[in-house]
Amino acid sequence: MSQREGSLEDPQTDSSISFLPHLEAKIRQTHNLARLLTKYAEQLLEEYVQQQGDPFGLPGFSPPQLPPLGGLSGPAPSHAGLPVSERLRLDAAALSALPALLDAVRRRQAELNPRAPRLLRSLEDAARQARALSVAVETVLAALGAAARGPGPEPAATSAALSTANSAAGVFSAKVLGLHVCGLYGEWVSRTEGDLGQLVPGGVA
Amino acid sequence: MGVYSWWRQPSLMVDNKRPRMAPNLPQLLSALTLLHLTVQVNSLKRGALQDLKCTTSNIQEWECTWTTPQGVSRGTVKEVCIKDRPQPCQKLETTKFKIKALLPGDHEVTIHYQNGFQSKFTLNEKDVSLIPDTPEILALSPDFRTSMLLLKWSDKGSAFPYPSNATWEIKVLRSRSMETVKLVSFNTVLSGKDTVHHWNWTSELPLECAPHSVGIRWRIDNHHFSGYKEWSNWSPLKNVSRPRGSEPEVFPQDIVVLAGSNITFCCLSRTKVLSGQIGNTLRPLIPLDGEDVVIHVLNIPFSEDSGSNVVFTTHYDVYGAVIFAGYPPDIPRKLNCETRDLKEIRCSWNPGRPTRLVGPRNTEYTLFESISGKSLVFKRFETLPNESYWLAFQMLPDQEIYNFTLTSRNRLGQAASALLINVTERVAPHVPVSLKVKDNSSTVVTLSWHLPGNFAKITLLCQVRIYKANSEEEVRNTTIKGVEDSVYFVNVDKLTPYTTYAFHVRCSTEPFWKWSKWSNEKQHLTTEAIPSKGPNIWREWSSNGKKLYIYWKPLSINEANGEILSYKISCSSNEETQSLSEIPVSQHKAEIQLDKSDYVISVVAKNSAGSSPPSKIASMEIPNDNITVEQVVGMGKKIFLTWHHDPNMTCDYVIKWCNSSQPEPCLMDWIKVPSNSTETAIESDQFQPGVRYNFYLYGCTNQGYQLLRSVTGYIEELAPLVAPNFTVEDTSADSILVKWDDIPVEKLQGFLKGYLLYFHKGDRDTPKSRGFESGHSDIKLKNITDTSQRTLRIADLTEQTSYHLVMQAYTNGGLSPERSMIVVTKENSVGLIIAILIPVAVAVIVGVVTSILCYRKREWIKETFYPDIPNPENCKALQFQKSVCEGSSALKTLEMNPCTPNNVEVLESRSMVPKIEDTEIISPIAERPGEIPEADPENHVVVSYCPPVIEEEIAKPAADEAGGASQVVYLDVQSMYQPQAKPEEEQDSDPVVVAGYKPQMHLPINPAAEDTAAEDEADKTAGYRPQANVNTWHLVSPDSPRSTDSNSEIVSFGSPCSINSRQFLIPPKDEDSPKSNGGGWSFTNFFQNKPND
Repeated sequence: MSQREGSLEDPQTDSSISFLPHLEAKIRQTHNLARLLTKYAEQLLEEYVQQQGDPFGLPGFSPPQLPPLGGLSGPAPSHAGLPVSERLRLDAAALSALPALLDAVRRRQAELNPRAPRLLRSLEDAARQARALSVAVETVLAALGAAARGPGPEPAATSAALSTANSAAGVFSAKVLGLHVCGLYGEWVSRTEGDLGQLVPGGVA
Repeated sequence: MGVYSWWRQPSLMVDNKRPRMAPNLPQLLSALTLLHLTVQVNSLKRGALQDLKCTTSNIQEWECTWTTPQGVSRGTVKEVCIKDRPQPCQKLETTKFKIKALLPGDHEVTIHYQNGFQSKFTLNEKDVSLIPDTPEILALSPDFRTSMLLLKWSDKGSAFPYPSNATWEIKVLRSRSMETVKLVSFNTVLSGKDTVHHWNWTSELPLECAPHSVGIRWRIDNHHFSGYKEWSNWSPLKNVSRPRGSEPEVFPQDIVVLAGSNITFCCLSRTKVLSGQIGNTLRPLIPLDGEDVVIHVLNIPFSEDSGSNVVFTTHYDVYGAVIFAGYPPDIPRKLNCETRDLKEIRCSWNPGRPTRLVGPRNTEYTLFESISGKSLVFKRFETLPNESYWLAFQMLPDQEIYNFTLTSRNRLGQAASALLINVTERVAPHVPVSLKVKDNSSTVVTLSWHLPGNFAKITLLCQVRIYKANSEEEVRNTTIKGVEDSVYFVNVDKLTPYTTYAFHVRCSTEPFWKWSKWSNEKQHLTTEAIPSKGPNIWREWSSNGKKLYIYWKPLSINEANGEILSYKISCSSNEETQSLSEIPVSQHKAEIQLDKSDYVISVVAKNSAGSSPPSKIASMEIPNDNITVEQVVGMGKKIFLTWHHDPNMTCDYVIKWCNSSQPEPCLMDWIKVPSNSTETAIESDQFQPGVRYNFYLYGCTNQGYQLLRSVTGYIEELAPLVAPNFTVEDTSADSILVKWDDIPVEKLQGFLKGYLLYFHKGDRDTPKSRGFESGHSDIKLKNITDTSQRTLRIADLTEQTSYHLVMQAYTNGGLSPERSMIVVTKENSVGLIIAILIPVAVAVIVGVVTSILCYRKREWIKETFYPDIPNPENCKALQFQKSVCEGSSALKTLEMNPCTPNNVEVLESRSMVPKIEDTEIISPIAERPGEIPEADPENHVVVSYCPPVIEEEIAKPAADEAGGASQVVYLDVQSMYQPQAKPEEEQDSDPVVVAGYKPQMHLPINPAAEDTAAEDEADKTAGYRPQANVNTWHLVSPDSPRSTDSNSEIVSFGSPCSINSRQFLIPPKDEDSPKSNGGGWSFTNFFQNKPND
């Protein structure tokens, strides 16, 4: 057990450590899920900007900057320097916050683009998949003996972000918010894939 | 002031009592100056005092002020008096007083001062100015969504006599520079009470983009008031502004505009805005206050579902807004309200032109029923093209009339459609369900179905669609009194037993509006009934007459009325009735052992419901001896038979047929025709082209059937399958006897029409038909149309000749294959004999005649051809001079005696020695070849002599020399006549070229030259050459009796002085020689010696 934790804390120092078969399978399964969701997130972002009209889909368009949504921002540059367990905790926390934001975006898009069922379905799927990935990462963390729940977004901040996404805010702001949410979703599933990849035997550090 | 002083001065001059008034007015506009100047001038004319000024704000009360005269202080005013008033004087302490409005006309006003000074004025309503009080804005409300300002104020109309007209003027100022962007005036009518007025204005610039201020003023026009009407003061400005945030903002946000309109967007920013764009289109920036900018979007197109994005870019970030451009809703089209069950009314419509607005901006429809006051709302986010919308309105008890108004509404406008209906006339029932069928009998069923709906007061009109296999569908109408949510029953009769039907039901109401949809299909098989008739039967006797075969046809479905289980046959005579065992349904033939007595055969078909009526037929047939077999050919695929009506035939007619090649009893099929018919067309799938069928027409009487006609025929004739088999029975020198056999009927495939026989010389095949058709003369054709004929003699043939015979049979269907044969005629022996005997006989006769003639004319012949030959010894010409001849051994010619010349006739000269050898008479000199070896290298016989005169002739030209080397050839008698055939040619010919005899006198002097010339001449010369030319003849025989007559060879034929030298010189037998080519038979040929012959 201590051996596993040691590898978890610093897997790069001893990459020859082997997990139990079921844990290894779980990590590999979760990693595959993250990798699959990374592709889905790219497709979602592409579909999203396509439905928002110009200039969202135009090359060179930089969306407006937004403050952290409900305390949730993209992975920090220092993220890579953290221990794997900490990174996974952050991944799980971010992924657990994303479904609510994705749902809010979907509801707003249902008003704006009621005739874009694929986008709406993709947003719905993304929320469900983010939740599933979050649970899967937490399961891996639990299996590794690490604390499953890390510091997540503040509930109040999350609700504020949701209100922004709701119809009270301007449509343009809602579009921008949705763009950020989709971007965050992509960043976090990609980051999760990378972090899990370090746990997969033979994976890239 | 100067101006005031200027226009005040004239009034003082007119009325000295008027105190001088100090100018206290501000600067006046030049226009007002002119106006006042005009008024003053008029006042002066009326004698009014101008320094008393009265105004009114409500017409009813005037307020007047004046200027105290010089030297009079303002506090010394005592009273003011106005004439014609109940209380004419009023105490005053100031220079201002208020009075109620005076009546029209001049009124004298006197102001008394305490010091006793008085000032008098003339006051008239026309001099009073009506200046309303400054209006007050009750509210100024901005609608930022629509960029609209809503102004609200009160006219305070209760203070004015009514009716009065009020003219309002409103100004809108924008931005910090207070630029007037709108100035508008409009009129209202004061109604005697305070009225709140509204005015709205939509700014092209969003209200958020800049502060806006609104002011208002007015003036009143009352036709009872004759004074001046002047504008009130402007009301205090009301401002509309929005607090600015710290972040840049873009306006308007999320607005909905009409597609094609012009929109202005602003960006309120404290930093510099770099660009502004809508979608991907950049627009020029127009500065506003500070760093604020606007862009104009002209003729905006309709937006995507998520709207059009307007984005401004600063150095730090991008800011944006979304605009939705679309259309107001179209008038709802095809609004239709109807009910299915009289419980709810379903109203449907078509939205018409798409608004291009979705989601919360989509069109909202409100269905309002004005009689009940109830309404329904329909709205949803997405809009599908060509979709029909509907709303269900719950019916109200006891209400039949409904007045619907459907209003479509979105942020850009609204439209409505209305419909008034009597709902009982707009019933389109539901689909009948639970359709069931129940048997009543084999021909009657009862249908039941459920129809949901409250039709208690309605009469239903329903249709039952009946479909039967292989039959057209039938629709029957029925009227049913409606009930509420009930099951309905209908009897359907006139059905066919044991038949599968498919039933459908649909309903409508009366009065008719719409049919419901057809219900689901319900199939039902009706019950069985007894067969409606007996089977169609026939009978045939066996060939030996001991068995009777009974045939019957299965009943049709309509006749069977069920499933036939078996057949029952009975046989009855006068004595008894015999029932046979039941025959299974699969069998349609029975065999009965009967004698030739009269029996009646009866057949019945049985099903589960019972037996059919019996079908009966008599066993015996009524004889008919007057029957002939006729022929018939079908048309199309039918055989048409006609017959004369026979009143004796009381039952029906039966036509049976069979294949003629089948043995008896032959029966393929039969049909029955009603007794009143005289014709029928027989058609059967069994009929095949080229097969012969026999048809028998029977008539039915009470005693039985009688054969009326027998017909054999084809449905279609074909060409015979095989060629006729023919042989040659006899052959002679000029004829051939041909015999052929019949073609079997089954191979004929049609009625035989005849045979064709072609024949021609030769043993090779010839395209007969082609030769026949093209009229080849060498092909002869015999067409035998008598089909009973079996032989044919072909005459007029050539003996011992090969003939090619070809024979074909033919029907109307065409020609059979051909069969051919080669026959050689025999030799004719009599003719041969005759052909031999006749020439022999002719030859004998000719020979006899010739012999007789020769015998009779032997003397003449002798004289002519064989005269007496003189003795050469008596001729001096044969006495050779030795002196002359001895000098030359080469010259071995006769020494001619000049005085007694011998005449030598040379008929032809040839160089062919063998020819010469063939001669019968040979020159004596030629018999000594050794004596002339040099001159005769080819063993030619040369007779030469050297008379003295010859030396003179040596100097003759080469023409004569050419013949110097020629040999003398003696020809036969025949050759002697050849020159006579073409005497002229001989004469005209070149002596050198002409072949023939050369005079012996022309001897070659130079042998070498002679050889060369002889070789040349050998090719050119041949035949006879005269021994001398004509002149020579004259010279040597001047005394010749014929020499003077002619120089021809005829003339020279026969020497007049010497005949002992005459010889027959046998010409060479050379076919190439022109002289030897006789060219036909001549008399002289008889005397020609031809050993080869």
